[in-house]
Amino acid sequence: MKASAIESIFLTRKPRPKEDAALRVLVLGGDQTGMDLASRLAVEGFEVLLVGGTAVGQTSEGVDLFPDAVLEEIQGFVGGFEVILRTRRDRLTERVGFIVAAQPARIVPKYEQHSLTKSRKVISLSDLEAGLRTGNALEQPLDEWFHAAFLYGLKTESQPAVFARVLDAIEKLQGQGAIQPYVFTRHLKVAAAGLERRYRECRERGTLFFKFDDAGPFFDSSPNGPVMTFTDPLLHLEMDLEPDVLVVDEELLPPTMLEPLFKSMPSSRFAAPFLKPESTRFPGVETPKAGILAVGASRGVFDPEIIRGDIEAVIVALKRPMPEPMQESLPGPPEVDPGKCTMCLTCVRLCPHGAISFSKHAEADGATCTRCGICAEECPMEAIKLEPASQQPEMSVRIRNCLVHTGAAGKIVAFLCSRSAAHAMESIGRQIGENLVPIPVPCAGTVGLTHILSAFESGADGVIVAGCFKGNCASIYGTLLAEDRVGQVRGFLGEVGIDPGRVMFVSTASNTPGVLVHAVRNLELTITRVNNVEQCEKSQKRGSGAIP
Amino acid sequence: MKKDALILGGGIAGLWCAWELARLGLESTIVETAAFPGGRAARLCCKATDECRRCGACLLEDVLHKVVWSDRITMLLHSDLLQVQGESGDFHATVSQRPARIVSDRCNDCGACEATCPVPGALVRSPWDRGLAIDEQKCRWFQDASCRACQETCAQDAVNLDRTPEILELNASTIVLASGFKPSDPHDTPRFGYGRVPGVVTGLELESLLRQENWEPGPSRKIAFIQCVGSRDAKIGRNYCSRVCCGYALRLARLLRNRFPDLSTSMFYMDIQSFERDFDKRLKEIEQEVKLVRSIPSEIRKGADGSPELVYQGLDDNREFESFDLVVLSVGISPNQSSVELGNIVGASSNVDGFVGGDGEAAVTSRCGVFVAGTVQGPKSIEETVSHAIRTAGEVASCVSKISREENE
Repeated sequence: MKASAIESIFLTRKPRPKEDAALRVLVLGGDQTGMDLASRLAVEGFEVLLVGGTAVGQTSEGVDLFPDAVLEEIQGFVGGFEVILRTRRDRLTERVGFIVAAQPARIVPKYEQHSLTKSRKVISLSDLEAGLRTGNALEQPLDEWFHAAFLYGLKTESQPAVFARVLDAIEKLQGQGAIQPYVFTRHLKVAAAGLERRYRECRERGTLFFKFDDAGPFFDSSPNGPVMTFTDPLLHLEMDLEPDVLVVDEELLPPTMLEPLFKSMPSSRFAAPFLKPESTRFPGVETPKAGILAVGASRGVFDPEIIRGDIEAVIVALKRPMPEPMQESLPGPPEVDPGKCTMCLTCVRLCPHGAISFSKHAEADGATCTRCGICAEECPMEAIKLEPASQQPEMSVRIRNCLVHTGAAGKIVAFLCSRSAAHAMESIGRQIGENLVPIPVPCAGTVGLTHILSAFESGADGVIVAGCFKGNCASIYGTLLAEDRVGQVRGFLGEVGIDPGRVMFVSTASNTPGVLVHAVRNLELTITRVNNVEQCEKSQKRGSGAIP
Repeated sequence: MKKDALILGGGIAGLWCAWELARLGLESTIVETAAFPGGRAARLCCKATDECRRCGACLLEDVLHKVVWSDRITMLLHSDLLQVQGESGDFHATVSQRPARIVSDRCNDCGACEATCPVPGALVRSPWDRGLAIDEQKCRWFQDASCRACQETCAQDAVNLDRTPEILELNASTIVLASGFKPSDPHDTPRFGYGRVPGVVTGLELESLLRQENWEPGPSRKIAFIQCVGSRDAKIGRNYCSRVCCGYALRLARLLRNRFPDLSTSMFYMDIQSFERDFDKRLKEIEQEVKLVRSIPSEIRKGADGSPELVYQGLDDNREFESFDLVVLSVGISPNQSSVELGNIVGASSNVDGFVGGDGEAAVTSRCGVFVAGTVQGPKSIEETVSHAIRTAGEVASCVSKISREENE
């Protein structure tokens, strides 16, 4: 592969040495949220590069504006990203400590769903809002309107944020003259602060709400404009309505232009088109890659009230000391043996956090790496090692020590993900444990054939690999890799004369100790059965050997 | 010593706020009234089927492990705020700490006290199955000094009923109210038969049983979930959506179906609230597993065979009668009376729905230097609670740095 091709696929070339970029922040904006975030950051002493549509004259000190720039490329890591911005005139390379995706949602009117086309009387919610703001953007004067029909979440599900906008528009229209609003919907989304109250008030002021479970109204057109026919879901009467205006609601989608960010984070394919996976492991604005933050639409949040909180959360994330001290139980950063590394890029492609760069050999960024250990296990050259946690021997030595210490007979070695299964283990207490040798690992994704075999070599009777439930892994796919590997190891064990039943994988969470208990009990039963069978086989062999 | 924040409540909001503050280098004290940290989330169950369903309940264990190891966080259990004096930057709080009646260093978790205690629920087990505490509201010793069975039984000498509460004086720059919510009381809607009709339980009761692995379907083959119990009901003063019930009911329904495939589950609702991305696709999946009925029952009564019977408006306005083996009331999130009282003590007023703090999702309150985090401020899912607690930590940090700037000037 040509060097240029490699560069275009993996944007993680080793960056130049860090300058003082840690206090510079690239904000990808486009609306008020981006501007609010930029000025908040400036107040907090950060130097901000704001990309995306900004009204002239609204600059605040400490904010550099790049209204028409496009983010083309990202390299490097938290505290020292190198970003390439393309503007109409040139291509700029800037160094920033953090990148925040705070673009507004992509808004798509749902004309097609209803086979409607935009016309004088058929407009989108955004069109109406613009008209109400400026007073002259609409082709039809507002005072000619009486019947105003709103479509909201009729054929596809919608968002509370859109319903809030519908209510805003109705209230404004009612403030401007005589009007009869109708809302055609399926599930009203009122799960946001104050929305149910506003909905009731809107109804009390005369708006009629029709909730459909089926296809809803049928749309036709007459020379005067659109015609709607429908069965009133409550009265079961056939109705028709010729609205003076038909307002089509809109879909809120994540912003585009996240591509360079996706490329810097191999796990992003589990999150796309959003920047952050839909996982409770990432409850705030943080993404799997340190220094890249997602605000609002890019993380699937559209409620303006919650987005205001996101801005505060960005400040919190940026003010944290960096790198944060790691938990003592976690190993040190991975070390690459330059002699063994062949630059196959397996680690670069697989690191869920995008922590690995390469120049002459692969190298992990200490502040980005979460110590999951997936790279170490996946490296085909065995060139990567995670330094054991302070004052702890290497894992195979630990296993042997544990087994020697307690006596190996009947023992089960349990590799426990320190984010889920190890917590669950703590609350199991006296239920199991006598025969269990718990080995906490940073992520189940770091457990492989060598570890499992070293448990058997040390005399264990069985091995459990306990990872997180699918979708709840802090390294996105560490638990999937672990499950796959256990499957492969089972195949392999059969060939070397160990019953595959002696190894199992189990998904757990920190609050499901019971799942772990069941798994251990099941494995114990299997082991007893296998032991019996093996003993029978042995004695049969001895027996059959004696007869002839 | 003056702390940066005094956090009232050791549930997920208070814990997460304390941890975020600790990451920023700020010190806090958490005051928790119960014997164990964790709050409501500690009684919720994991709703993973073959994959995580993103209920967020395990986030509690995550943050608890972080908090326990942080030397910037002090946790006071069994403790209640009595009064607060001073102002932003210089609050003086008086806290009463009830002593631990069961000394954890001595207790070897033998269970002898549980076996002798005559009052069910007077001995409380921690949500993590290790450690015991005495509920002073239930224990006879604290009512009429009539029973010391646990202390007399304990071979480890771990139980001590005679220790007296301590009064602590704490100083802090800011105060964070994170005292949570109260589950809506199903008795407020008597027509749903809670407490009267056998087989009618709340969603929280079911979760708690599932968490303890104490629930088997037994004869329950047909299960109904009733939405909006104590939510979206202006008649009882709940003019808001609790935001979590559609999510938890459907997750529970899917969890039960996954564990016991021959169960049938139905959900009676007004409007289904989206709780995941790409909700159109999710809803189609859900429809395969859960029968969705757009109708809130007018009555739940004891049927002829003793099981609960739902009376509801079916399609075409017909009154329908349907028997179920188990009816789960999806109770919502209500303001917590003790939170409102705490709000009074610290001088933070309530909003129109009765929650403490302002409207929207604000973290600030009517009083300078006093903040809110989590469901004390209004209904939130666990994930939203965490987001909110991070926001609050940010506001607290800004406030603290402003105070220290002013002090230096």
